[in-house]
Amino acid sequence: MITCPSCSHQNPDGATHCEACYTPLPVITMIDCPSCGASVQSDASFCGHCGFDLTAKTTAAIIQPQQEVSEPLPSPIQVPEPVSAAEPDPFQPVEITPDDLTEIITMPVSTAPTAAASPSSNPKTQLQRITASLLHVQTNVTLELPNNLQVTHLGKPNNLIPPDIDVSGFPDSDIVSRVHADIRFEGDAFYFEDTGSSNGTYINNVPLPAGNRHRLRPGDRISLGKGDKVSFIFQMTE
Amino acid sequence: MSVNLNCSLSDRNLDISQPSSQRQLAIRVSASTNADSSGAPLNLCLVLDHSGSMGGKPLDTVKKAARELVDQMYYTDRISVVGFDHKASVVVESQTLDRPESVKDKIQSLRATGGTCIDDGIKLALQEISKGKEGAVSQGFVLTDGENEHGDNARCLQFAQLAVEYNMTLHTLGFGDHWNQDILEKIADAGGGTMTYIQSPEQAGEEFRNLLRRVQSVGLTNAYLLLELPANVRLAELKPVAQVAPDAIELTMQNEGNLIAIRLGDLMTDIDRVIIVNLYINHAAVVNQSGSIPVVTAQVRFDNPVMAKSGILSTPVVVEANLVQNFQAQIDPQVQNHILALAKYRQTQLAENKLKQGDRIGAATMLQSAAKTALQMGDEKAATVLQTNATRLQSGTELSEADRKQTRIVSKTVLQAPSNS
Ligand SMILES: [Zn+2]
Ligand SMILES: [Zn+2]
Repeated sequence: MITCPSCSHQNPDGATHCEACYTPLPVITMIDCPSCGASVQSDASFCGHCGFDLTAKTTAAIIQPQQEVSEPLPSPIQVPEPVSAAEPDPFQPVEITPDDLTEIITMPVSTAPTAAASPSSNPKTQLQRITASLLHVQTNVTLELPNNLQVTHLGKPNNLIPPDIDVSGFPDSDIVSRVHADIRFEGDAFYFEDTGSSNGTYINNVPLPAGNRHRLRPGDRISLGKGDKVSFIFQMTE
Repeated sequence: MSVNLNCSLSDRNLDISQPSSQRQLAIRVSASTNADSSGAPLNLCLVLDHSGSMGGKPLDTVKKAARELVDQMYYTDRISVVGFDHKASVVVESQTLDRPESVKDKIQSLRATGGTCIDDGIKLALQEISKGKEGAVSQGFVLTDGENEHGDNARCLQFAQLAVEYNMTLHTLGFGDHWNQDILEKIADAGGGTMTYIQSPEQAGEEFRNLLRRVQSVGLTNAYLLLELPANVRLAELKPVAQVAPDAIELTMQNEGNLIAIRLGDLMTDIDRVIIVNLYINHAAVVNQSGSIPVVTAQVRFDNPVMAKSGILSTPVVVEANLVQNFQAQIDPQVQNHILALAKYRQTQLAENKLKQGDRIGAATMLQSAAKTALQMGDEKAATVLQTNATRLQSGTELSEADRKQTRIVSKTVLQAPSNS
């Protein structure tokens, strides 16, 4: 199953273009983590088994020779779709449009923060605030919630709302939507909201209706998607 | 008269190192003219809204455009006119055009009054069209300026489906900015026709002429595309067949034995219908020595109104792909443009759905994607409209009724520059 980064439609394996909106789909292949050797998705930003940072130099070294150079996509549409909003938009309509059109087209829609999602990007807090983290049950990896964010977005890379916590590196992450859920900090409490995921969210095995908030307590079990396959334990430290 | 049928894959070559490939097949279909055959006469019904809101210039220009239309028809053609407000009545009974002046006088007698009930208008139109459908190309033009507030939209669609069953085609024309683009598009799609937007009264004459030219070039009717897929090929799970030219329409399929049948409706002599089929080809098929692999066999079944023959079958066309080593993508640029046309339509539809759900930012992002797609296919007019509306949404501005209609139209078609005739 390949989720369309543009419209979130879930496409069958082997699709190179979204069946719904014809956006070229990311070619997701499995690669071996250079640190622990586990099999992880090529578009993940960190290894879900050992936490190894797969972004930056590592990504370029591992992924690009494998799929972007030696294997041109068999895709009839070359719509440039940035994998993450942090990358510059390669779309250059200069020759064919009036200037004003060019200007508005290259303007990014979303101004959401693009905090890096790898666990190593959260240095020890200086501001003494309550910090929270998510322990991934299946791999025992702990992800800290980025500090000072009122809203932390959970999901997988997309160009709409880039996730602050990227779960694409975990096994079974194909059941998690690109834009899956938010954790909001208000007063001195954390609240969990499903932001319209395809497969839903379960808190302590009870479905959380989209739009409903759940006040998180330490020890709460959060499952993204059905079947308790991508699950976290919420933890707080003062 | 026979059928032109051409098939092209987005990329004929398949990577032998992969287990399967997704490909799009573009199928172009038109009626071919040969010198010794002339087209069948037209059997046209004009269905005109003369509700109170049409009062003044709108109705005057529509009546003028309708009278001019009568002048451009042949005397062997048949015409009928139905007028509707919140009720419908036959203004001109179905007749051959031997007394055009009396037809035009009756059109001129329409007065603006009352509300809007489109379904009753369509119902009477079907009745009038059916009086002259033998050996003719049967068409209805339904023009309205408003919501169907005295009618039932579901009933409109039922009548449109009924029209198709009787081999009649319904086109819709939205006049001004207060008609419902969802309903008129559905009626036109179900009725096998096209939807036209007449933004200002002055355009009525030209849009009528364009539509008349289109229906005058209909050579064959009631056409079905028949596809036979070998066991190694399957259709995409979601909306696998769509028309992309002359306008974008989602097509429905039905199974006929081991064939997939897709209704295309009228075939024109000078305008290609282009259908995109999205499919997955499993490479583990019996491959002959040259490395070719079967993909699909396509055929068209159609009626020829001049010869009063139905169910005629075209010569089948066999489409094959090649399994190759050291695969390098070689995309057919024409097919790519057709795919972009479908992408533009689908992305705009997704944006409109998001807007209906109140997701303004999501809608803006999707419209922006559609604008990029339009630019990529060289459709600058659509790119400008889509991008302008995306920007409006981003800045928190509502889209006007005119914006929404323009968006729908540019997503469905590639607009031609208006002619000065
Ligand atoms: Zn999509
Ligand atoms: Zn690892």
